[in-house]
Amino acid sequence: MPPKQDAPRGRGWWFFLPPAIAGIVVTVGVALAMTATDQAMFCGSCHSMAEAALTHKRSVHAELACNECHAPHNLIAKIPFKTKEGARDILATATSSIPDLIHPGEETKEVTQANCQRCHSSTTSTVVMQSKEFCTDCHRHVPHTPKIPVAKRSAADA
Amino acid sequence: MRKNLPLFAMLAVGMALALSACSEATEPVPPTFKTSLKSDEIKNSAFKSEFPLHYETYLRNNESEIMTEYGGSVAYDKHDNVNPLPKGYKHAQPYLKNLWLGYPFSYEYKAARGHTYAIKDILNIDRLNRYAEKADLPATCWNCKGAKMNEWVGKYGDEFWAKDFNEFREEVDMDENTIGCANCHDPANMELRLYSVPLQDHLKAEGKDFKTLPRNEQRALMCGQCHVEYYFTDKGQGPAKKPVFPWAQGKDPEEIYSYYKSHGDTTTPGFEGNFVDWVHPVSKTPMLKAQHPEYETWHNGVHGAAGVSCADCHMSYTRLDGKKKMSNHHWNSPLKDPDMKACRQCHTDKTPDYLKQRVIYTQDKVWEQLMTAQDISVKAHEAIRMANEFEGEKPANYDQLMIDAREMCRKGQFFWDLVSAENSVGFHNPTKALDTLAKSQQYSQKAVDIAIQAAAFTTAQALAGDIKTLVPPIMEHSRELQMDPEHLASHQWFKYLKLTPKSEQIWDENRRLIPKPAAS
Repeated sequence: MPPKQDAPRGRGWWFFLPPAIAGIVVTVGVALAMTATDQAMFCGSCHSMAEAALTHKRSVHAELACNECHAPHNLIAKIPFKTKEGARDILATATSSIPDLIHPGEETKEVTQANCQRCHSSTTSTVVMQSKEFCTDCHRHVPHTPKIPVAKRSAADA
Repeated sequence: MRKNLPLFAMLAVGMALALSACSEATEPVPPTFKTSLKSDEIKNSAFKSEFPLHYETYLRNNESEIMTEYGGSVAYDKHDNVNPLPKGYKHAQPYLKNLWLGYPFSYEYKAARGHTYAIKDILNIDRLNRYAEKADLPATCWNCKGAKMNEWVGKYGDEFWAKDFNEFREEVDMDENTIGCANCHDPANMELRLYSVPLQDHLKAEGKDFKTLPRNEQRALMCGQCHVEYYFTDKGQGPAKKPVFPWAQGKDPEEIYSYYKSHGDTTTPGFEGNFVDWVHPVSKTPMLKAQHPEYETWHNGVHGAAGVSCADCHMSYTRLDGKKKMSNHHWNSPLKDPDMKACRQCHTDKTPDYLKQRVIYTQDKVWEQLMTAQDISVKAHEAIRMANEFEGEKPANYDQLMIDAREMCRKGQFFWDLVSAENSVGFHNPTKALDTLAKSQQYSQKAVDIAIQAAAFTTAQALAGDIKTLVPPIMEHSRELQMDPEHLASHQWFKYLKLTPKSEQIWDENRRLIPKPAAS
């Protein structure tokens, strides 16, 4: 039997290796970028997020990335959500239209609520969760310690 | 490979950008500045080019229309609950002219406008006599009207206070010298700086150094330079007419009242050594006039005790350029903001409407008790007047009863005034406001009871009636009206006032209408 596919097989191996490596690099790169942009180090680097980063650093959740709470955990839901939130923040920064107060919107509240329950499910399993809509309705100190006087949370930029 | 190159490049650049932007969260640090101004600059407009955005917010103090439920920026007469704005307002206390009769406050007392009107409004107020060379009040009144004080205190020292207010009318510019930048900042570096002599004296007495106090305390003290109860020193007690904060024993009403039991030159039997602002002509009671104790009220209230400073709510951060946070230098009621942003910095989970209703809930309760305290205070004066004029057989301890009745009248009205003059209708400290008003009512009622006893109970029946018919509110009174005999016949309490000689108006704002008489 003539060696039929030796040459093509050899060519194919050489042909597919670089894209495969590239694929791995891109995947790892995207994953790294995704993880890096989840962190307080990244988010807090914009002026508008300085207070959030500071209060996060002092909170019980200091070890966690911002998006452990602020984005859906499920990757399929996370990608479009993060894209939308990120694009909005970039737009606000670029067009100088950052609001005086930065509070979570309804969608973010749902997302953070799901994330509270994701980690604290064993605690909440014995709790009547219908009393209040959100965990943070009572645990007001958890998200960014608003009970600390504002002057101790941040200073004016100028 | 070549195909992927642009992708790699983009990724690399993206990662580099993302990483370069990263930084650790930093502790809050007050911004530092170096201006082209000198530390002794006092003109407000000099700061405009250095801080255009801050200056823009400062000029918003000119706003003089927006009202809240219990106050606002219109300078209405605070005793007129009959006429609509701008003359009166629904929430006014009708007995102010009665309670302050014989004291300049009875001539005119308006709701305060923004800080930018401080000089214009004091130059136009009838409390300071514009119908005579002398104002009837000392230069001390300038103390809280602007940064001219920085110059005058340096120039005259403690000699300044006892000079006449009118001597300085022509020296002021209404816009450049009104309360502004140099009252709180060192113009050279914009660091917080005290100009207020009475506050400096208080800190010194407490052994405190402003420079070493925590930033959060320093910020509150900026407002505490003026938004406090104060008095003008009697001649025998120190530099005449020098302003002093009566805080040596504490900042609560009982402690301040106790302070005023000494520190004065009064010789009236039963009140020897007391500090006295004026003697009420109807009841002959040595009175105290309280002034806006915002700082004292706030400091141990629910917000003050938790470290929330004046500026956190009254100068809350804004992004005028849509980007960077800056302190809003428009000092006014957070209730004017439909978004209630000041409250929602901390109360993130509450709606603006909910928060506004909570404030008004407190104010409704305090206002109701304030009005009651006011009524009993008027009744106390009337009861003492009756006992003073009682000609029947007096009880053996009549003199002591009259002293006791007047003491309770003085105390009851002072406690009412501490809440009345305070600019929050109790919100700065709801518990203390209601406690102070409860005590005011008890003291004033005690004054009524003791006065009835002094009159051998003969006045009890008359005093059992409604105070509004017994002593109607004085709706009109002014320096000019006191020159008119017809006016003095228009209310039963006016007969205790002296008719003042007819005279022309000499002063109009910072100008003379009549040339200065030649020195004799």
